[in-house]
Amino acid sequence: MRTFKFVSLIALVILALVAVSCAAPTPEPTKPPAPTAVPATKAPAAEPTKAPAQPTTAPATAAPKPTEAPKPVTVTNPPTSPEMVDAIDLMGKKVTVTYWHQRPQAQQELLQSMLDEFNKTNPYGITAKAEIAGASYPDVYTKVSAAIQASQPPEMSVAYQNQAAFYRGSNAVVNIDPFLKSKKYGLSEADAKDYVQAFLDTDQNPQFKNERLGFPTQRSAEVMYVNMDWLKKLGYNEIPKDWKTWEEAACKAADPATKKYGWAFRHDASNFASQVFSRGGRILAADGQSYAFNSQAGVDTLAMIQRMFKNKCAVEIPVAERNGEQTRFGNGEVLFVFASSSGMSFYQDSVAKGAKFAWDISLLPQSGAKPAMNLYGASASIYKTTPEKELAAWLVIKFLGEKTQTAKWAAATGYLPVRQSAKQDVIDTLKKNPAWGPVADSYAKIFDWVQYSMIESPVAGYDPVRDNIDKKMMTLVLTDFTVDPKKLLDDAVKEANQILKENAPK
Amino acid sequence: MTITTNKLPKISLNRVLIYSVLILGALASVTPFIYMVMTAFKTYGSATTNVGWPWAPFGDEPLQWINFTEAVETSGKDTQWQTFLFIRYFANSVITSVIIVAGTVITSVLAAYALTHINLPGRNLIFMLILATIMVPNDLTLVPKVVMMFNLKWYNTYLALTVPFLASVFGIFLIRQFFLQIPKDLFDAARMDGAGHLRYLITIVVPLSKPAIVTTALLNFIWAWDNFKWPLLVTRDSNMRVLAVGLQQFLVSEGGTKVQLMMAFAAMVVVPIVVFYFFTQKYFTEGVITTGIKG
Repeated sequence: MRTFKFVSLIALVILALVAVSCAAPTPEPTKPPAPTAVPATKAPAAEPTKAPAQPTTAPATAAPKPTEAPKPVTVTNPPTSPEMVDAIDLMGKKVTVTYWHQRPQAQQELLQSMLDEFNKTNPYGITAKAEIAGASYPDVYTKVSAAIQASQPPEMSVAYQNQAAFYRGSNAVVNIDPFLKSKKYGLSEADAKDYVQAFLDTDQNPQFKNERLGFPTQRSAEVMYVNMDWLKKLGYNEIPKDWKTWEEAACKAADPATKKYGWAFRHDASNFASQVFSRGGRILAADGQSYAFNSQAGVDTLAMIQRMFKNKCAVEIPVAERNGEQTRFGNGEVLFVFASSSGMSFYQDSVAKGAKFAWDISLLPQSGAKPAMNLYGASASIYKTTPEKELAAWLVIKFLGEKTQTAKWAAATGYLPVRQSAKQDVIDTLKKNPAWGPVADSYAKIFDWVQYSMIESPVAGYDPVRDNIDKKMMTLVLTDFTVDPKKLLDDAVKEANQILKENAPK
Repeated sequence: MTITTNKLPKISLNRVLIYSVLILGALASVTPFIYMVMTAFKTYGSATTNVGWPWAPFGDEPLQWINFTEAVETSGKDTQWQTFLFIRYFANSVITSVIIVAGTVITSVLAAYALTHINLPGRNLIFMLILATIMVPNDLTLVPKVVMMFNLKWYNTYLALTVPFLASVFGIFLIRQFFLQIPKDLFDAARMDGAGHLRYLITIVVPLSKPAIVTTALLNFIWAWDNFKWPLLVTRDSNMRVLAVGLQQFLVSEGGTKVQLMMAFAAMVVVPIVVFYFFTQKYFTEGVITTGIKG
């Protein structure tokens, strides 16, 4: 009998909890876009937040004959010309847009505070919200993919170039160029020039006739971390600038008996790509139609990794040992590390507590015709919803790219700001930050290297190619010193081209 | 008067080997837990450089109790409850875990009973089909399930966090195996006394099967408490998130991880599981040992 009463009580508790769960507010879903043509409306009377100057790239329109009324512009979804964007009227529409990203809560709060400022100041009544959609880029990718399938994508999200290309394959993201070049809503000539051109270039996708599938909000780069005290002890007065000297220094530093190595090898395709770039090679051919990492630059990279492990000059950081290269660098166990510039404050912390030595960053050694640096960074992509929402999303991204916002964001995250004019503000702010202060001058150097930026592969299907680069090439040469790097590269490129073909626009 | 002396257990090579393996296994299991607790009390520098290891397992600085408060503060503010989001995450974890455990236990018990005591045509085939669903990789069904949540308008609600997990194939399997051991004579006797299926299930079968039911509850509680990906994908607002998702605050894309805060947070997250296990350990061991043995 007691058991019966107990079970009844449990049932009541469950019913109460279910009732609570049903009471949670259900969000109003975003309606799937209807690809309708929107008739042109009168230009809004209100001025945009910033009076844009004439963009340089805006197409010149012929002045209408005085007898003829100007032809109304039909706005397609998505808009395909700056004129169509100009014709969209946002006044009184009270559009709400959501931005999905993968930053932690503290940065979500900073982002939302900036968006709150936008919500207060934009003349169109746009409300912008930021939402954490995952702990990593793959999380956001999974969530966005599901939302696209459910015809309920967010208005914008963080996306790597290759992910944006994948979404574009199903017509889910829009080309941002018409918005950027719009006379009324686009970037002014001065603003466009203020953006770091290399950052802007990374979002133009060769698979889709150079459509701009994203817009930069932050960037970081693969740099070389160097233990300067140790390097001096080895008899080098400056950081090696060529691969031969670099390898020699790394092998000189190595002493496996005391667990000291010249280089910490990370399992990451970006690690390979950075070295290929620095030797004058490419990952993807310039036309985006094939992979090209089986060039001499690729062979030299793979052969060097193989040689360094054969000679016990390098140590492998297991995949399970997250940020292990940082730990070993801090302990004074490795001379060189190739890693993201956004980790500088973490390196500083490790070194300060660990072996306490002088360290610095530099470009990777170079042997190409011109210097090269691997530029990372996801951008913000705009999803196909309605022309009004797409425009509102663009205005939000444009706002986040303004000097004040990009400087704030860079100083809080350690990424690079997207505008040149923000450089000094960021450096000054970092100098006041105890975590960044000691490395602010090193951070400042990256601005000089931005001109050498290259990106890996902005095309759809790059993720499995990255996986192959690590598992089928780099991992093999660490242990098999007889395997032919050229053959590995040729096989990997063949497979990569097959993946490229499978993911090509239909 | 006889004096009894405590005999020392015989030390044999077999016993030494068995205990060595057990001790090694126990150490391997407990090492990550020890690492978590130690790291939770260190500064970032100490945590990443292992200063003083192994003689000073907590580093060479004072214990960093501040990591726990910092971890809670870093979780952010909940404007609705006027508290830290950590509290909200905790509440959500409790609510979803309790609903999932209760739902799983109820559906598993009912399904297991039907599969063992009711003469359904093709009940073994039904059971095989239920088992076959385990073979479908979760990643394969993840996106369609998220799409379903959008379509049902359950996105960002407790329904999305709980309803898809109110049945457990493993729970059905475990409890079914236990039910099979109950002698059929009990059922016949209960029927003769006028008991129906439900009364027999509640008054006789369930009390006899406590170990299997508690094991199912515990395993599902651990799973629900630790579930990360699903809550992340089907929630939008921070006040709908659970503790496992809260842990992601400390992940920084390429730069590094505030490992000391992450471990402090993890230590707080793991406490309820340890407490729950502490109280149900007896049943859990019994359930695992006796399931599947024909009595």
